[in-house]
Amino acid sequence: MPIVCAERLSKTYRVAQKQPGLGGTLRHFFWRRSRLVEAVRDLSFSIEPGEMVGFLGANGAGKTTTLKMLSGLVYPSGGNLLVAGHSPQRRQASFLRSITLVMGQKQQLIWDLPPLDSFRVNAAVYGLDDTEAKRRINELAEMLELGEELTRPVRKLSLGERMKAELLAALLHRPSLLFLDEPTLGLDVNAQARVRTFLADYNRRHGATVLLTSHYMADITALCPRVLLIHQGGLFYDGSLEALTQRLSPCRLVRLELKTPLPASAFSSYGQVEAIDGREVKLLIARDQLTGAVARLLGDLEVLDLEVADPPIEDVIGQLFQKGVVQ
Amino acid sequence: MRIARVLLSSQYAYMLEYRAEIALWTLSGVVPFIMLALWSQVDASGGGTGELGLNRLQLGRYFLSAFIVRQFTIAWVVWAFEEDALQGRLSHALLQPLHPLWRYLGAHLAEQATRLPFVALLVGLFFLLQPDTVWLPSLGQAFAALLAIWMAFTINFLLQSAIAILCFWSERANALERLLYIPYLFLSGLVAPLEVFPPAVRAAALWTPFPYMIAFPAQLLSGNPPSISGGFAAMALWIALLLPLVALLWKAGVRRYSAMGA
Amino acid sequence: MGRYLLTLRRFWATALAGQLEYQLNVLIDLLAMAGNLAGSLFVISLFYGPGRSLGGWSWESALVVVGVYTVLDGACSSLLRPNLSTIATHVQQGTLDFILLKPIDSQFWLSFRTVSPAGLPEIGSGLGLILWAASKAGASPTPTGCLTAALMLASSLVILYSLWFGLATTSIWFVKTWNATEVLRAALTAGRYPISAYPLGLRNLLTVVLPVAFLTTVPAEAILGRVSVGAAAASLLMATVTLMLCRGFWRYALRFYSSASS
Repeated sequence: MPIVCAERLSKTYRVAQKQPGLGGTLRHFFWRRSRLVEAVRDLSFSIEPGEMVGFLGANGAGKTTTLKMLSGLVYPSGGNLLVAGHSPQRRQASFLRSITLVMGQKQQLIWDLPPLDSFRVNAAVYGLDDTEAKRRINELAEMLELGEELTRPVRKLSLGERMKAELLAALLHRPSLLFLDEPTLGLDVNAQARVRTFLADYNRRHGATVLLTSHYMADITALCPRVLLIHQGGLFYDGSLEALTQRLSPCRLVRLELKTPLPASAFSSYGQVEAIDGREVKLLIARDQLTGAVARLLGDLEVLDLEVADPPIEDVIGQLFQKGVVQ
Repeated sequence: MRIARVLLSSQYAYMLEYRAEIALWTLSGVVPFIMLALWSQVDASGGGTGELGLNRLQLGRYFLSAFIVRQFTIAWVVWAFEEDALQGRLSHALLQPLHPLWRYLGAHLAEQATRLPFVALLVGLFFLLQPDTVWLPSLGQAFAALLAIWMAFTINFLLQSAIAILCFWSERANALERLLYIPYLFLSGLVAPLEVFPPAVRAAALWTPFPYMIAFPAQLLSGNPPSISGGFAAMALWIALLLPLVALLWKAGVRRYSAMGA
Repeated sequence: MGRYLLTLRRFWATALAGQLEYQLNVLIDLLAMAGNLAGSLFVISLFYGPGRSLGGWSWESALVVVGVYTVLDGACSSLLRPNLSTIATHVQQGTLDFILLKPIDSQFWLSFRTVSPAGLPEIGSGLGLILWAASKAGASPTPTGCLTAALMLASSLVILYSLWFGLATTSIWFVKTWNATEVLRAALTAGRYPISAYPLGLRNLLTVVLPVAFLTTVPAEAILGRVSVGAAAASLLMATVTLMLCRGFWRYALRFYSSASS
């Protein structure tokens, strides 16, 4: 029984339009023109309990809108949606108790007070008694490596510390379904890594389902065995990350270390030259010609070392978004 | 000059975006009308004009003028300044080769321009309801009133700027503004014409800037001024007092702001 | 129910903890209270002269109206303004999302999230003024009289809350609505004076459309022990209807809330 089940989900917004400048303003004054924007259309997918799924897509592709529909904040304009056995937009208490939403660029903690005070408010809202709340705070604080930070006013915390405290506040009621919208936005590399480890840990410990959007591919590669690629409001791909890479990039990256340097022209018969740096050469070779080309390389040239890898996923996805290709 | 033009037109476009809010702002100036309703009833029950020193027509014209004066002298520097400081826009503004207060001044003028049609609408409505109050000030009167309104706006703007600048020192500047509003409300002539004040209170009020911010321009506009030259002299004096004060405060404030490295 | 009470206690404990950092506020609040009260008394005293009165109310009984108004104003500063003014901010910054995803009534959260001690001096002085003026006016306390008075005060609070919350709800569509609440506040200043002091047309307007009459005049009448059964029933009816309307309106508005896009 899937925990999230979306069928032909769609969302249309009405957006007002205005030309820049004084003339546009005056025209806008008298008659407002608006047009309909399809943020999401015909999106169908289902997610099993305990899965960690990444939403990929360029800015404005519809990731956040989808996440908000799943959490019940946005009414879908069409389609069927069942999340944790509920219709999310009805926002029943039992549904709300089983989910949480974390947004990297918005915060729910009380700015002037230590995080512990916000936790106490949340504990009361979710009906946790004091001992249970304390136990959970301790457990989560340990997982997040938070200590005395919890007694400092939120405004005096670093961005990374604040994000960890946000996570704690969001997970106090032990939700089984986590919606994370850019949870690592703006964090430094170390803090990002800690948040990632924590999420994987939480998923293992409580069998929670995690749905995540992120601009940092490292988040997705580290956490999500499965990705949903959303492009222009529609579902473009649903499956494993590796398969996506294979599908998007028909080439593999071959790194060679030669005994003596050679000019670029020497490699044109094997594949496309990506980079040459002295004795080190990077070639892009089509997947179906890979074995033959490697065999020829090893036979024809004096090769000290050879390594075959997938091109970096950031590049692949980045290229996809730049070109806007949908085949 | 070019800067001023660009500033004003862009601010005007911005203000048009907020026309709904500005319409509401205009409406929120209804206090004089409420007070007029009360005073006219008192007058009717009192059975005469002698007691208040003003007849019904004069009362109506006075409060309508007070409404108009209030509409074009409102300043919201404290509010805008605090918002900018909170959002971190202040540092940007300080880097630009234009004194931030000019920017606020432009915004205020643009907002008044946006307000004009709404005010005209309300004035028209008022005349429709009370056709006998219609009057046309003479050219000289109108000119004097316009000048007085501008000076009153200047006083209000400077007072507000002085408080806004205190934001550099304290986060509670808007509480101070709230305090300042209290004597303004009661002493400016917004709730009652100065003529009905007890003589001692009236004399004391005239030593504060408040009566010059509503009552004096409104009296000019409604064609019933006590002393034209005295009023203008007092206004000029207040401006002459406030202008250097604001300049000094601003200098000290910016020095403090940069010292804190914000 | 118990969960809501506990939540309320946590809300207010954190709110007070957050505000204790600013001791200066206490002084400002006290000053504002004193200024406002003095101003109110001053203006109302202007209406009372030899042979003059306000809508047939004696000086002492008119002071009861001022007292009720002061209590309401204090309640605004303590509860309504700090809470309801944040609704627009939540919409603007998208943090309303967090509140909507809590398993607790969102209207409850938004209405009672914080409390400010700012209005306490006003509530206190308002109550004091009511007691003093009522005894001067010769009101004799009876159990039913006190009960009616308390009931009328409660229903005036409910009406005020509902009006304000209803206006704040429109921020779901218009984002910036604190101007609208300014209009409401300006119109409510009409409540400083007994409703019978207004001309007939305005009196009806202030009873039916904008129920100012139920905010101050009816409770004051109840305190003075001369409220009619009809007016008391109308006040309770008004409170029930406005509360239900504002609740329904909030639910309706939430359906339109599509949250500020990321």
